[in-house]
Formats: sequence, structure tokens, C-alpha cells
Amino acid sequence: MLKINDLHANVENITILKGLNLEIKPGEVHAIMGPNGAGKSTLGYVLSGREGYDVSAGNVIFNDEMLLDMDIEERAKKGVFLAFQYPVEIPGVSNMEFMKESVNAMRKQHSLEPLTAAEFLKKAKHACAQVQLPLDFLKRGVNEGFSGGEKKRNEIMQMILLEPSLCILDESDSGLDIDALQVVANGVNSQRDGKRSFIVITHYQRLLDFIEPDYVHILANGKIVKSGDATLAKEIEKQGYAFLGLDTSEEPNI
Amino acid sequence: MNQWLQQVIEHGQSCDDWLSPLRAQSLAKLHTMDWPHRRIERWKYTSLNAFDDLTLNRDTAVKTAPPGAIEGLDSIDLVFINGILHTDLKTQVLPKGLRISGLLETPKSEQDVANNIFNKVKPEHHFFGLVNDVLAQDGLIIDIEANTNIAKPIRVVSMSTDKQGSHQRILVRVGANAKVTIIEQEQGDAASVSTCFAEYDIGKEAYVEHYRFAMQSAEAMYFGGCHFSLQDHAQLNSTLIAYGSALSRIDVDIVHNGQYTQAKFNTLYLLGQSEHFDLHSTIEHAMPNGTTEENARGIIGDKAKAVFNGRIHIHRDAQKTRAELNNRNLLLSRRGQVNTKPELEIYADDVQCAHGATIAEIEEDALYYLRSRGIARAEALVMLNFGFIQQLINDIPNKHIAQWLEPKLKSRFVKMQVI
Repeated sequence: MLKINDLHANVENITILKGLNLEIKPGEVHAIMGPNGAGKSTLGYVLSGREGYDVSAGNVIFNDEMLLDMDIEERAKKGVFLAFQYPVEIPGVSNMEFMKESVNAMRKQHSLEPLTAAEFLKKAKHACAQVQLPLDFLKRGVNEGFSGGEKKRNEIMQMILLEPSLCILDESDSGLDIDALQVVANGVNSQRDGKRSFIVITHYQRLLDFIEPDYVHILANGKIVKSGDATLAKEIEKQGYAFLGLDTSEEPNI
Repeated sequence: MNQWLQQVIEHGQSCDDWLSPLRAQSLAKLHTMDWPHRRIERWKYTSLNAFDDLTLNRDTAVKTAPPGAIEGLDSIDLVFINGILHTDLKTQVLPKGLRISGLLETPKSEQDVANNIFNKVKPEHHFFGLVNDVLAQDGLIIDIEANTNIAKPIRVVSMSTDKQGSHQRILVRVGANAKVTIIEQEQGDAASVSTCFAEYDIGKEAYVEHYRFAMQSAEAMYFGGCHFSLQDHAQLNSTLIAYGSALSRIDVDIVHNGQYTQAKFNTLYLLGQSEHFDLHSTIEHAMPNGTTEENARGIIGDKAKAVFNGRIHIHRDAQKTRAELNNRNLLLSRRGQVNTKPELEIYADDVQCAHGATIAEIEEDALYYLRSRGIARAEALVMLNFGFIQQLINDIPNKHIAQWLEPKLKSRFVKMQVI
């Protein structure tokens, strides 16, 4: 479903991704780990289409289409979802209104009638319950005044509502206590249906105790330097990235 | 001297009605004032050059229909067309405790009420206020008896049509412990010039919910004023909405003349094309224990220009005043312009005050976030712009009015090149 070929990407003229290759099949969960500045978040942004991230070489094929040619919203409608590491606060736009617009944009893509307010509310209530967000979060401004953990749960809530085919989780575990981590992991696991694929970007093996990956990749200096199964993550947890013998000195701090 | 002003003065000199003695004072004052120019601080960012090319005619045929009702709102409607009241007051059945008379036919008792308000609430330094003193032949005296709650909102609709000058005055006395909602809805079409000034004398423990909608179209020039005096424990909740005019200005004065007064004053302006809107507000805290909360928010697109000057003046005796003033602007284009200046002048030593002003752009991160959830760019921009003003819409106490406004405001976004 996703094939990344020799991807090179720059941010403000600094090359971050330097020939990244990755193939993901339907239903697979791929964890991407790596030291700070390796390009993990950049990968998520490039896939979702964030402006300012210039692809200088390589391509990405998503369900037989050239992903990088699509607008941000088009990628989302085709099934790419990025759970942000730092979700933005948008006061004045209610979470409810935002998600209803968003869900209906997806439905339109699939030639389905838009949901009525009541139908949407029913779905939203269910999604909120799954990530243990109180219902009044729907009425509040998007992420407005949410704690770090609430923002992360809100991202997973959106993922549940939008039913994407490729979920990219960008450090969805960072800043979470163990209970919140479990809530986020349960939310993700509930969406594993054998068809939906996941890229789980994380620093720590801890999240992978709850979301068991099929593959683990180590991203360093803009490339995948090592791939393996879940045991690779455990090794890193024990020994750090040093055992890979990587030269991490020239990593830009982005 | 400016030709238009010359005509105003000539008109004033020939005017003869029961308000003439008061009008004469304004005329005398006007004689001593310069035609506003940009070296005068309060006119620094608003040029009146458009008056040089102004031609008005005396054809009074009305081609446009006045604005329709506000859906769901059961209101007492009073309609002015080009400054003349078109509603027959004799046929109006008014609730007990409410008297409404026109300035053209005013019973003696109401003349006395008017004489106590006319230019008593409005300060004399407002240039177009003086013009309105001289030119407003017609207008309304709205008199609410003490201890009455007027459940039906009073809606004063004014329309100015092509090449017309329209000027009216609204004088309101709100008796002690009375409650009323007054909506001033003003619509100017094509090349018209209108002035509309309103003075509110709000009695002890009275509550006034007030709206001023200055909804103009491009060529219409508009000068408005809303002036309020609050007695002990009086409360004011005022919402001002302005858009659409190539040259518009509103002066607002809220004077806390009593203790324990409360004023909430929200303004929204949505400007596109070459529109110009100038809001000068002055809040005077003359007595202790008053509160003011003023929020003005504007979105400026294309070549539009906004001017905000908000002043809070806390007098020596006004201890324990709490006052907040905030102006936030969203600037959508490089050619747009915002000039904002909040001012605090405090002479009492035990007060809580805050003021601030910001000018920002649409946040790219927020736009990306919405688009990353499948929302088209144009739609996302509408959401973000509307989000910027949503809080003030939520603040509108009357839900029918808020619902009526929402699509009107959203439809402005096209002119503002949001999409």
C-alpha cells in the first residue's frame, strides 16, 4: 500500500532525509525508531504534505498513486492520517465542528451522504469514550487549553473517526504517563483490522510493549540503517543506539 | 471651507424647530472647528478627501427596499429611509411603560426628556456628532418608564439610498430598574452619506442590551456615534458590527457616572476591497466600583484599512475600577492596513486594568492541521477566519440575532478574499 523509494527531503536547505526506502503492506505495523534529529518527524510531515518540506529526489507510491503530487487535503482524503507530535491549538473552531467537516470530507470522497449533526454526535461520543476524553472536549476549541495527554488522545480520537488506511503516529507516546499511554495504545489497537497500516514513530520501546509492531526500523542520518522485528526495539532499549556504531555527530537539530 | 460643510451650516442656519436652540449651539461650535484633516490626532488615519467629489441630489425616490426582519425575532420595528421616519407611530401598539415619539412631532413632555439628553450624553468634540446635531431633522425619542421590562426588542432600521444624505438622531431614556433591548440597524447603499448618533441615558439599576449594525456597501459613507451614560448599578451590553463602507467611522462613549456600573462592549469589523472603518471609543470611569470589558476584533482583507483607537480614562475618584480593553486584528493581505492604539489613562491608585492590541496573520500551522484532516484549503480558511470572531458571536446575548448574523458575516469572506 505504501512504497517509499530513495526519498530525499530538505527543510530550509538542510537535507534531512537522504535516501529513505520503506515498503508497507496492508495491515502491517512498522515502528520507526532513531536518535534525535534522525528525520523521523520529517518523514511524517513529508508524507502528509506539510509546506516547507521539499522533496529533492525519490518518490512515494500510495495505493498505486504518486502521493507526493497530491495536495495536503487530497492525501488525507485518500487515507493518510498523521497523528501530530505537537497538535496545534485553534481557539474559536470547535473540535466538534472541525471533526464534522473532516468526517464529511472523507464521506464525500467515498460518495457517501454527509452525516447529520445527530449522526455525527453519536459516532463522536463513541470515539471519545474509546480514548476516555470527556464529551465536553467536543465543544471546546480544537486542542484549546488541552493538556499534552489530552491533545494526544484527541489525535487518536480523530483517527478513529476518520478511519484512514495509513496511520502515521508521530511520537504519540511522548509526554504521556503510563495510564494515558495505555489509553492511546488501546485506541490504536482497536483500529488494527488487518487492512489498516501503521507507521509508529517513537523514541522509546515502551510504546511498543502496548502496540506490537511487525517490523522495527532504525532511522539515522536520514536513512533506514537497520530493520528487524520487535526484538530489535528491545535491543535498543537495553543498549541505546550506540551499539549500531552510528556516527551521530553531524545530525542537524531539527 | 469644505463645500459640503458649508451646506450643512447653511441648512443649520435656516432650520427652525423646537430643537433649534440646542442646534444653534452645535452650529456655533462647528463654526470654530476645522474640517477634519490628518494632522488632527483623532483623524490621523481617516481621510475625508472623498467628500471633495461628493454629489448628492434631492431626488427622494426610494429604489431599494429596507432590510427585512431578523428571523425569529419578534421586534418593534421603526424604519427610517434617508433620515425620515417611515413608520406611523400612531398605529403602533406599544407595551406599557414604553413611549416612542418622532422628532418631527414631539409632545411637550417628550421634548423635555429630549432636551435633557440631546448633547448631554454625547461629548461635543465629535465633528460628525455636531453635523448630526444640525442636520438630523428626524429621529426618535425612546422613553422607558422606571421598573418596566420591555420584552420585545426595539429595532430601529435606517436606510440610506443612492446619492442621498440621511441623518437621524436617537435619544433614549431608560428609567431606573428598567430593561430594554435596542437594535440600531443601518444600511447604506451606493454613494450616500449618513450620520446616525444615539444617546442613551441609562438610569439606576437599569439594563440595556444594545446593538449597532453598520452594514454598508462600498460607496456609502457613514459616520455614527453611540453614547451611553450609566447611573448607579446600571448595566450595558453593547455589540457593534461594521463592514462594507469605503469611508466609515463610529465614535463610542461610555461614561460611568454612577457606582457599581457594568459595561460590556464588543465590536466586530470585517473589511474587504478598499473599505475603511475607524472606531474611536472612550470609556470614562468617573465613579468607583465600575467595570468595563471591551473587545474589538477585526479581519482585514485586500486593500481595506482599519483604525482602532480605544481609550479608557479612570478618574481620580473611580477607585476599584476593573477595566479591560483588547483589540485583535487578523490581517489577510499585504495591502491591507491596521492602525490600532489602546490607551489607558489612570488617576486612581486602586484599580485593575489591562489593555492590549495585536495584529496577526492566519497561522500556517493551523491551516496545515485542518487540511491534514481532509478539509479543503478554502473551507479551512473560512473556519479559521470565523474561528477568530466566534468568541464575540458567542457573546451576543440574543441567539436569534447571532444566528441571523452568522451567514451575513460568512458571506463577507468572499469580498475579503478569504477564498
